[in-house]
Amino acid sequence: MKKYLLLIMLAALMLFAVACSSGDEETSGTSNDASTKESTDDASSGDWTPEESIEIVAPAGAGGGWDTTARMAAQVFTEEGIIDENIGVVNKEGGGGAVGWAYIAGFEGNAHKLFVASPPLVFIPLNGQSEYSHEDFTPLANLIADYAAFAVRDDAEWDNLNDLFEDMKEDPESITVVGTSSPGSMDHMQFVQIAKAAGVDITKIKYVSAQDAGGLTQILNGSADVYSTGVAETVEQVKAGNIKVLGVTSEERLEGEILEDFPTAIEQGIDETFINWRGFFGPANMDPAAVAYYEEKFKELSDSDAFAEIRAQFGWDELYMNSEEYSQFLDEQREEVQVLLDELGLAKQ
Amino acid sequence: MGSLEGIITGFQTAFSIEAIFFVLLGVFAGTIIGMLPGLGPISAIAVMIPMTFGMDASIALIMMAGVYYGAIFGGSTSSILLNAPGVSGTVATAFDGYPMAQQGKAGKALAIAAISSFVGGTVSVILLMLLAPALSSVAISFGPPAYFALMVLGLTAIASLSEGSTIKALISAVAGFMVVTIGIDPQTGTQRFTFGNINLLEGLDFLVIALGLFALAEVCSLVLNRKDESIKNAHNIGSLKLGKKDFKEMSGPMSRHSILGFILGVLPGAGATIASFIAYITEKKISKKPEEFGKGSVKGLAAPETANNAATSGAFVPLLSLGIPGSGTTAVMLGAFLVLGVQPGPMLMTDRPEIFWGIIASMYIGNIFLLILNLPLIPYFAKILKIPRPLLISLVIMFSMIGVYAISFNTFDLYMLLLFGVIGFIMRLFAFPAPPFILAFILGGMLEQSFRQSLTISNGSLMIFITNPISLALLIISLLSFVIPIIQQLRKTKQRG
Repeated sequence: MKKYLLLIMLAALMLFAVACSSGDEETSGTSNDASTKESTDDASSGDWTPEESIEIVAPAGAGGGWDTTARMAAQVFTEEGIIDENIGVVNKEGGGGAVGWAYIAGFEGNAHKLFVASPPLVFIPLNGQSEYSHEDFTPLANLIADYAAFAVRDDAEWDNLNDLFEDMKEDPESITVVGTSSPGSMDHMQFVQIAKAAGVDITKIKYVSAQDAGGLTQILNGSADVYSTGVAETVEQVKAGNIKVLGVTSEERLEGEILEDFPTAIEQGIDETFINWRGFFGPANMDPAAVAYYEEKFKELSDSDAFAEIRAQFGWDELYMNSEEYSQFLDEQREEVQVLLDELGLAKQ
Repeated sequence: MGSLEGIITGFQTAFSIEAIFFVLLGVFAGTIIGMLPGLGPISAIAVMIPMTFGMDASIALIMMAGVYYGAIFGGSTSSILLNAPGVSGTVATAFDGYPMAQQGKAGKALAIAAISSFVGGTVSVILLMLLAPALSSVAISFGPPAYFALMVLGLTAIASLSEGSTIKALISAVAGFMVVTIGIDPQTGTQRFTFGNINLLEGLDFLVIALGLFALAEVCSLVLNRKDESIKNAHNIGSLKLGKKDFKEMSGPMSRHSILGFILGVLPGAGATIASFIAYITEKKISKKPEEFGKGSVKGLAAPETANNAATSGAFVPLLSLGIPGSGTTAVMLGAFLVLGVQPGPMLMTDRPEIFWGIIASMYIGNIFLLILNLPLIPYFAKILKIPRPLLISLVIMFSMIGVYAISFNTFDLYMLLLFGVIGFIMRLFAFPAPPFILAFILGGMLEQSFRQSLTISNGSLMIFITNPISLALLIISLLSFVIPIIQQLRKTKQRG
């Protein structure tokens, strides 16, 4: 008798295990009950509609920027009834995105597999760390923009970017820049781009990569001097008076309580911006009708009040681009980055 | 709002019926998740994020925290019974827990683990409550040189983790260092030892190595030694009752490692795994009977079990008071905070005291629940050992596979698991100890990265390790812990001669 009890317990555990693992793949937020079944086939949706559940790959672990963007988009799609099919978010972590990209590249022409991407999709192939670049996929739509912030400890000697860059020109060895990504990817390149515009010798910039939010720790304890990160990561620390933001990389000042106090690089006379764009892609050779379908759905998502709320919550800016605008934007980005990487000697040989 | 008022608000939140229910749910789910090898708190919390939408933020976070420390609590069960660590924080638990279970004292081993976990968890929550605001400065006090020195201190343990040949222990450790360099090097972005295989870009997951070297290697030995009479004992569960002598033996490690574990937990990046190893080693070093370690020592089991639970509470210090996640799990929790519209960081304590103090207060309840939940279930858990051996072995293999697959849903990891199972088995055959390998694997990444970060900052000067006071102190301790045993050894030989 007891033997059976044990077997039943084990079976229950196994079921739980399976439920957990599949849960990770299928999670798309709450079920469809909120979505009122309205207008499945708009006349303007073209002639393509999804026939099975849609999978969105976040090519990174749970909890990061890509993962959050994908989960939030999936949630609004479902809750607002924009897309009736189930949407699952899957994490494919590894190689700064390369593992997820390789996975999607294997589904050529499949219009039910999407992934979320941002500037590393441009950087990493140019570094030679991934054989796939944005050209190997179909850009569907860009959704949001985020910006970089350069922060220093509150008691640091610099009060603006020009002070900092002047010191970097005189004595580059004395200043350490810290970020999360490896050299040649985002946190490094966003700083390099602005520093170059200010006339700093970018080959002499000392950059340290620190994982797991170690960058913030290193700024707070004085191990490193400048923290190159996203705007949202700085807000709480600025509020607490621990750090100050010398500059952000947006065109104009950002909106929001603390955000509006951050000076842009442009207003400090450095004519350069850096956009941390985030949008969605599909595999190569996707049916043009499917591309048109997603363009429209992402536009609807971008215009919805529910997504506006999410943007405000995470401090993201609205930046919608359709497939064609997006491709062109990406090509321009790549050219800019190529020049910088060549100068740094980090470009793929 | 004063902090006393905040604490009261926190207790009010934590003692509401709703909160108590969700703490119970969280720790129960955590215990089960922890027991299953590979299913860690990271994936569990990530899955929960969308489910908690619309819930009150403090209640949702209290539940997720429960999953986290519940998993570390539950992880000891599979380490002890099957030599298959459920979460990385409980690898060191297997060193003495599994031998104890093999000697027919599984019940006792599980009881010791549960009680030490409870003590470690509770003491550290008290420390957390008293010191959280003050400790935030400790959490950031470690720069790269200090982390490097801490890792060096951890490495001095290799010698004490070896049974028999020191040379073999060192070879094993070097192999661990080599394996951890696989993947993209964060400081240059270069691929190392990936052989162009994209599955290796991120390096190998800790669980692949741990389950391979421990669980699968053990399975191989069991199959090979199936006629051996001595393992017949393992069917016995033995009494759950701990005698006065046991409690006396446990009290030392429990009090020491509640504090040590908590401090190591506070340091971002150190966490439960490193805390449990350092606790185990420290206990062995100061023990009068170090030869008992690795063969079912009560102290050797109590030390890591206390420390890993204490470290879990410690990890909430940087998360709650600074918004800095110190580990993978707390990083996912940080994401959960954001999704629930709560910004963790230096302002959390004043802006949202019901959340800050509510989570901490709920941990008292959670730890009590874990003890009540686990103690009566021990006889049932331990019955796993009564399963006929062929079935048990298949179950261990199956759970290890499920666990590893659940890390990234990649079949490549399964082949790696099997490979490390074979490597682990060969290591056993030739008496190469596995613990130094796993220790080097755990410490190696941070050792290398912090060393190179330090040198970049200092423009290549090694003086940075001496001018930094924390680093200097830790390096001196490492040197002493290395030299003192040699001197003692020399004296002994002299006396004899």
